[in-house]
Amino acid sequence: MTAALELQTVTVARTHPRRWLGRVPYFVLGLYALVGGLGPLFVDYDPVHTSLQDRLRSPGSEVSTGTAWLGTDALGRDVLAQIVYGARTSVVIGVCTVLVACVVGVAVGTVAGYFRGWLDTILARGIDILLAFPAILLTIVIAGAFERSVLLVVTALSATAWISFARVTRGIALSLRERAWVDAARVLGVPRRAILGRHILPFTIGPVVALATLEFALVVLAEAGLSFLGIGLPNSAVSWGQTIANGKQYLESAWWISALPGIALSVLIVNIGILGDQLTARYGRGHLN
Amino acid sequence: MRKSLLYGLAVAAVVLAGCSDATTGGGSGSGSGSITVAGTYPIESLDPHGAQGGGTGTQLAAREIYSRLVGPGTDGKLKGDLATEWKPNADATEWTFTLRSGVRFSDGKPVTANDVAASFKRFMDLKGTNTANFTGYTMTATSDTQVVMKATKSDAAVPGKLATFYVIPAGVGPDDTAFFQKPVGSGPFTVDSFTPSQTLALVPNAQYYGGAPKVSKVTIKKMPELAARLTALRTGEADVVWGIPDDQLGELQGDSKLTVETVPSTAVFTMWFNSSIPALKDAKVRRALWQAVDFDTIVKQLYPQTGSLSDAPVSPITLGYVKQQPVGYDPDAAKAALTAAGFDFSKKLRLQFANAEFRQFNQAVVSDLQKIGVQVDLLEKEQAVFTKDLLALNWDINFQQLSNPTFDAANTLGRLYPCAAKRNGYCNPELDQLLSKAGSSPDEAERTKLYGEASQIIWQDAVGMFPMAVKYAYAWNNRLQGFSPDPNGLPDFATAQVNGS
Repeated sequence: MTAALELQTVTVARTHPRRWLGRVPYFVLGLYALVGGLGPLFVDYDPVHTSLQDRLRSPGSEVSTGTAWLGTDALGRDVLAQIVYGARTSVVIGVCTVLVACVVGVAVGTVAGYFRGWLDTILARGIDILLAFPAILLTIVIAGAFERSVLLVVTALSATAWISFARVTRGIALSLRERAWVDAARVLGVPRRAILGRHILPFTIGPVVALATLEFALVVLAEAGLSFLGIGLPNSAVSWGQTIANGKQYLESAWWISALPGIALSVLIVNIGILGDQLTARYGRGHLN
Repeated sequence: MRKSLLYGLAVAAVVLAGCSDATTGGGSGSGSGSITVAGTYPIESLDPHGAQGGGTGTQLAAREIYSRLVGPGTDGKLKGDLATEWKPNADATEWTFTLRSGVRFSDGKPVTANDVAASFKRFMDLKGTNTANFTGYTMTATSDTQVVMKATKSDAAVPGKLATFYVIPAGVGPDDTAFFQKPVGSGPFTVDSFTPSQTLALVPNAQYYGGAPKVSKVTIKKMPELAARLTALRTGEADVVWGIPDDQLGELQGDSKLTVETVPSTAVFTMWFNSSIPALKDAKVRRALWQAVDFDTIVKQLYPQTGSLSDAPVSPITLGYVKQQPVGYDPDAAKAALTAAGFDFSKKLRLQFANAEFRQFNQAVVSDLQKIGVQVDLLEKEQAVFTKDLLALNWDINFQQLSNPTFDAANTLGRLYPCAAKRNGYCNPELDQLLSKAGSSPDEAERTKLYGEASQIIWQDAVGMFPMAVKYAYAWNNRLQGFSPDPNGLPDFATAQVNGS
């Protein structure tokens, strides 16, 4: 009889609602990726084209080209289209920046942690110096100094994003180089590159993925911030930050111009944050089990 | 015992907080008789001569602190300030100004003809933007109460042009920052405190010849964000705001505590073409580009209350305004004309402008041009960079809102369109002749006719596009009486008063 009861408890545990709750961030992010990736194929939008007779229409109104489900902005451009194209911009810039920061950060961190000595000293102090700069200020300076383009924004954002990756991987490399199998490999004469690639790097993947998710959220937010300030991306690129800035003086009358992209941005950031937390809890900061 | 001590402290804190609330309650606008003005343009310096002297912020402050010889009233007619009479000689090469007696500076010293002449010399020496109106002219004090302006040619517009010239005591050096921190002037107000680009506090000048103003204090605060200015107006933190866009005007008009008025101004939107670049050398190309933009719709949609489609290069309240033949909207004809003239559609034209408030207008223009295949790079520049590029002709199309404090076309047409001015790459000797004749004839009707002919050349050769005449929208709190909106965006507070309600 106790065995039957136990079986029942196990079944209940496997289909507990909390597991589905934990999957929500994946669904939401998948939705954003889908909208950002495929949305522009179904929705037409040209940021230069204005349609003045349709300006400042509320969500759901009829306009000359159909229905504006989320309203129009001060120049008659569709807010839904701006959100869809903005999703693509945010995701593309987020992914590119995180990839660049990841590659650079992991390389620097592993090399610094494994080789130690003067190389480690230089790299570690370099990281500390960069940490002392307020990241957003450095980003604004870089983005504002050159001609606006997507490459510039990715560069400006990666300039400070790689640091956390470097620190985490350096910590892991430092602890791993004393391990038995790494010692054995060294004694056996395995080349350094192979030791790094086969014995150190695989252990960094877990924490780096967790960190990458959190950095992605910060990068998307920073990019929106730069576009809000009017630097970074050229006028022809669509971004949530730009749309929010355009609605700044209409908060009382045409709230949908700023509020709706703002909500889209917040929901994305919150879900990425939750996902990042879950991954960090799972893979920790380099604990080996 | 500890408990009662704590209790005592708590009570004392509450009482003190209550007391301080009572004295600051009501905010900055309430000390009875003081008004707060929320300004768009920063006041960087109080020096009415020199590089910043022509700027809107400095001109606004200068009107309250200093006096000028003559200045236009709200109806555009010239009124004497320091001068009671002004007469030209037979061919308008000399103008004699008779000064008002009994005028004193705020430090008690009398204003003499010597101060006026010295101020004019300093004004010309510091080469501000308005000195181009007086190249080579001199002003001498012929007696204690008379100054004579000698012009290099017949110039009928001298009194109007002097609207931007203010008088300070003689002996102030070119870089005297200490003087301009607490300047001495003969205007209705004196400076109580001044933080450049932030706040200017003015108090009545007891020595003012017209009687000290009735308000106890005027504070001009810079609030560059539109939403902040309008919120300040609605909460009572600011008493006057102007330069309000149409989209926000509706909310203010519905507020019973506020008075909202629009006044026709001398300002016009001006979009020059750079006639010195190969793409825009041909007048046919420029006319076609003008024809391609539906300015009527743009003005009606973006500026329904404060804008009207322009029909001349100057505003209707300017001397020299003559109605021109309107340019219709015809994108197909425009495209055909551009193709026939060999216009290179693959080249991008650079359109520059300098203020976020004009962004929507310019985006709409770019959109219309894109519809016929003309690509335009819209460049929003910071004011200083914009001015530098403007003077260096580093642009293809230039957008500006040009205002005219003199109400006389000599200050805009006569100053900016001759060949020697080099402001938009357009050079036409026939136009130069018309403009100089119009500037020197003493007969107003004759001048208007000549400016009309000059305007026709400018209009038909499409030296630029002239889309819109601007009206300024002012909104002020009903507690402010005796305030009249100024067509130049430079209102005067000397006659304002605050009523109890």
